[in-house]
Amino acid sequence: MPPLPPVPRFLRRLLTVLAAALLLLLLPAAAREASSASAEITVRVLLPAPFHDATTRELPQFHRDHPGVNLELVRGPLDTDAIQDLAIGSLLLGDTPFDIMMMDVSWMPLFTAAGWLSPLEPYLGAGMLAAMEPGARPGNSFDGHLWRMPYSGDTGLLFWRTDLMPLPPRTTDELVRISRDLQRSGRVRWGYLWQGRQYEGLSCVMLEVIHAFGGRWWNPASGRTELDRPSALQAARWLEDLVKEGITPPSVAGFAENEALQQFAAGEAAFLRNWPYAWKVIENGGGPVVGHVGVAPVVVAPGQEAGGTLGTWGFSLLRGSAHPREAAEAIRWLTGPEMQRSLALNEGYAPTWTALYEDEALQKGAPLLAVQRQALAAGPLLRPPTPLYAQLSDVMQRQANAMITGQSDAVSAMSAAQARSDALIRAMTGTPR
Amino acid sequence: MRALVLLWSLGPLLWQLRTSLLPPDALVGQGPTAWTLENYRLVLSGDPPLWASLRNSGLVGLGTTLLTLSLALPCAYALQRHRAGLLGWGVGAVLLAASLFPTVLLFLGLLEMARSLHLANSLTALCLPYTALALPLAILILRAAIAALPPELEDAARLEGLALGQRLRSVLLPLLAPALASTAILTFLASWNEYPIALTWISRVDRLTLPTAMARLAGSSVFTVPYGAFAAATVLGSLPLLLLVLVAQRWIISGLTQGAVKG
Amino acid sequence: MIPLLAVDLLLMLPALLLLGVVFLLPLLRDAWLSLHASTVVTGLMAVPNGAANWWRLFDDARFRQDAFQTVRFTGVSVALELVLGLGLALLLHRPGRGRALLRALVLLPWALPTTVMALGWRWILNDPHGPLNGLLQAVGLPTFGFLTTPSTTWLAVVVADVWKTTPFVALLLLAGLQSIPVDLVEALQLEGAGRLTILRRLTLPLLAPWIALALLFRIAQSLGVFDLIQVLTGGGPAGSTESLAMYAYRQSLRFLDFGYGATVLMATFLLLLLPGVIWLLLQNRLPRRTA
Repeated sequence: MPPLPPVPRFLRRLLTVLAAALLLLLLPAAAREASSASAEITVRVLLPAPFHDATTRELPQFHRDHPGVNLELVRGPLDTDAIQDLAIGSLLLGDTPFDIMMMDVSWMPLFTAAGWLSPLEPYLGAGMLAAMEPGARPGNSFDGHLWRMPYSGDTGLLFWRTDLMPLPPRTTDELVRISRDLQRSGRVRWGYLWQGRQYEGLSCVMLEVIHAFGGRWWNPASGRTELDRPSALQAARWLEDLVKEGITPPSVAGFAENEALQQFAAGEAAFLRNWPYAWKVIENGGGPVVGHVGVAPVVVAPGQEAGGTLGTWGFSLLRGSAHPREAAEAIRWLTGPEMQRSLALNEGYAPTWTALYEDEALQKGAPLLAVQRQALAAGPLLRPPTPLYAQLSDVMQRQANAMITGQSDAVSAMSAAQARSDALIRAMTGTPR
Repeated sequence: MRALVLLWSLGPLLWQLRTSLLPPDALVGQGPTAWTLENYRLVLSGDPPLWASLRNSGLVGLGTTLLTLSLALPCAYALQRHRAGLLGWGVGAVLLAASLFPTVLLFLGLLEMARSLHLANSLTALCLPYTALALPLAILILRAAIAALPPELEDAARLEGLALGQRLRSVLLPLLAPALASTAILTFLASWNEYPIALTWISRVDRLTLPTAMARLAGSSVFTVPYGAFAAATVLGSLPLLLLVLVAQRWIISGLTQGAVKG
Repeated sequence: MIPLLAVDLLLMLPALLLLGVVFLLPLLRDAWLSLHASTVVTGLMAVPNGAANWWRLFDDARFRQDAFQTVRFTGVSVALELVLGLGLALLLHRPGRGRALLRALVLLPWALPTTVMALGWRWILNDPHGPLNGLLQAVGLPTFGFLTTPSTTWLAVVVADVWKTTPFVALLLLAGLQSIPVDLVEALQLEGAGRLTILRRLTLPLLAPWIALALLFRIAQSLGVFDLIQVLTGGGPAGSTESLAMYAYRQSLRFLDFGYGATVLMATFLLLLLPGVIWLLLQNRLPRRTA
């Protein structure tokens, strides 16, 4: 064993300097914590990065209208899975640092079952949702309580290239035919881009496509999934064939919203499945397709009813908030018509308030409103409203991604998804209470 | 051969450096290759700024190191005297097992502990599990170093009538300085890099340590895929360690091997 | 000397207490939780359910898949790290100019936080913009989805892990090399033995305990692999890189199924004990070469 070398003096000095520097860094932090103890009430909101940035713009107005309340918006990650981990992590630890959390519609059953939320109707009154579009109401109330106020009425939409075709396709067959023609004539490299990575976005795509072929993921009456039915198999096979036939690139297996959006904005595809935000991003991005992008409801199999996945976010009041009354008022403001007007104008998000859809001034500034209202009227699709949704979605993501990457085919992927969902439901609900 | 090894070790790092200095368009092959510091500005002025997590990691690392040294030294000192006995053997075996243990397996229990003891989101509290994770190796290193001291030394000091505290200060500590330096550096490194426990204990954005901030960055791309910003963050996160390794390479190596082998 | 023993115990107590709280309590708690249902269905309260979690584990294809993937990752990456680490150690042992600097630079990947460089590898392996695919395109090949191909992505994870931990293995072995007396090597050289012979007859046997130690350490750490996979692939594509630790993490923190998450953790722990037991058996059978 070589003997340990002695510590030269310069190193000792270096360490001392480093320690002193760290202490100096610590001091301002401590000072800041001390100074924030004023009489003002602070309400903390956790929200995903893009919503944070969009909402911050309006924040001065809130502070003008609500003296004595400091609304602090905390910027979380964008990725749904990442922010869900953060949200759950902070709630599990107790002493959550937040009063309000921005919630994806698919989390609601889990979070209410876990007892983490406070009902909103004691503060906001009953009937808060009555003035909203009917399609924007589901997913907010359970067991007779209002648990969430929706921030937007976003649904999955089809983005299409107005420079390549006069009218958007309405059926799955039309989409395939148009894509093939365009690809064959060399006018575009790919046909249809969507989200195929193993993550929550893939579940949204699967929900839409299964519905588009007349099936359903979840049967609320039996409390079981219906993924091995012919319609679900057909749906899965359609996606599988899109990749196999080269209408969708194989790299879709790694695509979340942004990757798909980037490639579409670069002019490499005829169609894109995405959320309303994508339109503003494309139009502001300065790419080759600016001014040539139309928006339409997602395609369905011939004879089926249209319906996009309800992908709305909204605000919930956390149990254990020290200032529930102020927090509820903040939620009222965060989801109010003025906020939604700004979001529709600046970000292209779909409003939930009926009055905004009928506002002519807004219709001029937000050209997507008509399509968005149509999508909401079509009865947008709710992901399985069960506390087990996170597991069911995980099963779906694995199997669907295996199919897209060619590891398995539509039939085995869907029957495996069904079998594992069944086993999961048995294991979870079979446990004694 | 050496060039090849260096290429393999440093290549990925240098590529990150290059990526961090390019504008986003150039990365996806659409723009000119013009050098820029924009990515650094972005991560440093971001919300939360990266320097905050650098500071948090530094604080936790410092606290952990101090606590580890002050717990490990007395333990190693006492343990050394029972080296031959059953007690020494038993504790030594437990320490070796603990130093091998993958810490991720502890996250669930530690999460519940943080909840019931209200330790969440406290950087000071985070030092406790980190100290525990660092202790096994620290004790083994220090025990080996103490074992290597000439035994007459302390007897002589005792004969001269020096009290325990004085013996410690004027005889033991100077002789153990190299081993203490090794232990300190390794402890600091381990705590700087720890991920699973920080992931479950810290939910406040302004309290994130560097590894958790980096992982969160991975899931925080807004609209585009900001690999330039990622790269700038990796460069900034690596720099302190680059310095540490360059300055203290010898203590790292000897500490690792002493503790692992003599233990 | 009972008072002295008491003093010594007192000196050891704080450290051992903290170790007990941080290592032992969580393990005991996991063992206890694995015999309970603690999910949203039970309102996050722990309700005894006998061995139901364990039966579920035996019937869980995903657990089996993840166990296989974890063991495969461990086997391949540790083997590579050992071979490359040995080569690297021999290289670093050779005298030459700038050896200290070389050692420091080689050590660097090991010292960086795993999540930091996992992010770096994600970019390097990006399809189609990463440098690796840039190379492929430069020689006229199509790009390859390093992180989106279920049959091969685990190899990308292995490469990232080998890059990061080979220096550690090399360091341990380097210390072993330095402990080999130079005169033994010189004696063999005088007998006219070539470098390979010296390696086989002298270096490797004397290095055996160090190799065993490196193996034990790397196997234990690899079986618990978490950070790297969480950031590099998130367990995808199609779950092909998910490790046991990730599965346990997901069960508890995303699905709020703490009973089952604890069961997966306990199963991983039992799996981890295997190499430890083998090591102990071997230690007792082999005479101690170095003492």
